[in-house]
Amino acid sequence: MELVLTIGLDALSFVLTLLLVTLGLVIVYGMMNVINMAHGELFLLGAYTLVAAQSAGLPFWAGVLLAMLVVGLAGLLIEELVIRHVYGRPIDTILATWGLSIAIKQLIIIVFGPAAISLTNPLPGSVSVLGIDYPAYRLVIMAVSAFLAATVYLVLFRTSIGLQIRSVIANRGMAGSLGVNTRLMDRGTFAVGAALAGIAGAVMAPIMSVDPQMGVGFLIPAFLAVLVGGLNSLLGAVIGAGIIGGASTTLSSGMAQATAQICVFVIAIVVIRLFPNGLSKGFR
Amino acid sequence: MMLEINGLHAGYLKGSQVLDGLSMKIGKGESVAILGRNGMGKTTLMRTLTGHLKPTAGSIRFAGADIAGKPPYRIARAGIGYVPQGRDIFSDFTVEENLRMGVLGKPGLGSTVPDLAFELFPILAERRNQRAGTMSGGQQQQLAIMRALLGKPDLLILDEPSEGIQPSIVHDIGTTLRRYADTHGLTILLVEQNLDLVNLLAHHALFMENGTIVERVDDIARLQTDADLINRYLTV
Repeated sequence: MELVLTIGLDALSFVLTLLLVTLGLVIVYGMMNVINMAHGELFLLGAYTLVAAQSAGLPFWAGVLLAMLVVGLAGLLIEELVIRHVYGRPIDTILATWGLSIAIKQLIIIVFGPAAISLTNPLPGSVSVLGIDYPAYRLVIMAVSAFLAATVYLVLFRTSIGLQIRSVIANRGMAGSLGVNTRLMDRGTFAVGAALAGIAGAVMAPIMSVDPQMGVGFLIPAFLAVLVGGLNSLLGAVIGAGIIGGASTTLSSGMAQATAQICVFVIAIVVIRLFPNGLSKGFR
Repeated sequence: MMLEINGLHAGYLKGSQVLDGLSMKIGKGESVAILGRNGMGKTTLMRTLTGHLKPTAGSIRFAGADIAGKPPYRIARAGIGYVPQGRDIFSDFTVEENLRMGVLGKPGLGSTVPDLAFELFPILAERRNQRAGTMSGGQQQQLAIMRALLGKPDLLILDEPSEGIQPSIVHDIGTTLRRYADTHGLTILLVEQNLDLVNLLAHHALFMENGTIVERVDDIARLQTDADLINRYLTV
């Protein structure tokens, strides 16, 4: 019983962590259709912003906010310099953002060095959940993820600005002809997607080893989650993160890590084969 | 002059011009229909006027300001409403959300749907919370027109609004739009093959051939009677 509960909590924790990383991606890739190969590096930038903030003596949460701002601004810059020239050209987007990802990674190595940095856990200790001692900071990450997902949902589906963002995504030309400043929406939406990746990086940094490769491990499961859940759907991202994250955790508790990874990929391939438009197709 | 186009050139590929030095004028409150066979450049003209296609030469003056090559949202905010061919309603949005899009993009028009929206086309009130994509073609057309009108345009551009809609509905839409235009001083530019709608809406007609205006017909009734005119410009 205790084992089941532990695995369940671990699974939920990983699902919500994956959702946190996927949120930025579902906006940039799922909704704007931009295959941003540098999304993992935005995550990285968020983590290193927190490193810099910590070493400057800023408190943890101030560092997270700073990471959001810095990576959001970086997103604004990237949209202006690179992305806006390649909208609707997927191959060019992959090449351009791949180059960008290398550049960002090297820049980080120049500034911070290639070695792994470990941060102190801002909330050490554990909390008892249903009789099980669970690391307190993991619960914080879960709460941040759920909060951000709910916020993104409310902004997109319950506000005027969200309606305009969705209109640009649904039909850019018509949105423009109704007076919506499509350039402003593109810029803003991409920057928000980037900022979410930045927050994810910063929030995850204390429980990971911060090194220039840390973005990679999450990028592929996040892309899988978006594909499995269905593009252009926030609920899809939740479902996708649930399946990919849940399967990874439960499977790796019973078998070798590599075997579990293979199984997760097989599950993803089967789901995408059976539901090419994702599981959320038909409802949002 | 509401709209004044001079020597307009535009096209999709380098070297091939769909619009070939087109010039025309529309006065304030006038309704003008553009007729011509498929492939003569009517939709290209509409797309260039609304900023979806950049002209390669020539000028477009709207209410005195040069709008040639400006992005669609600037042209929309300058006062040009657009009902494109195929309507382009947001099919996943509700009827009300579609109508809200009519005002949201325009500074100063607020963010709620004015009651006017449901008075002109009562069907929209009935279907208010329904997904727009589930409505019939005629209902979607009324939605697209209303959405454009809510933006309070001075000039309304309609591209083939009768396409795929049953004649009685086309007639109703034409009558309602004519009445609205007369009470609000709206200027209309219409591309249409349906002569009934042209007859209802337009004050005069322009015939388009190979990217230019080739003839102007001031007496709209002639369209119904002059078989020679129709044969020359409309039948293949």
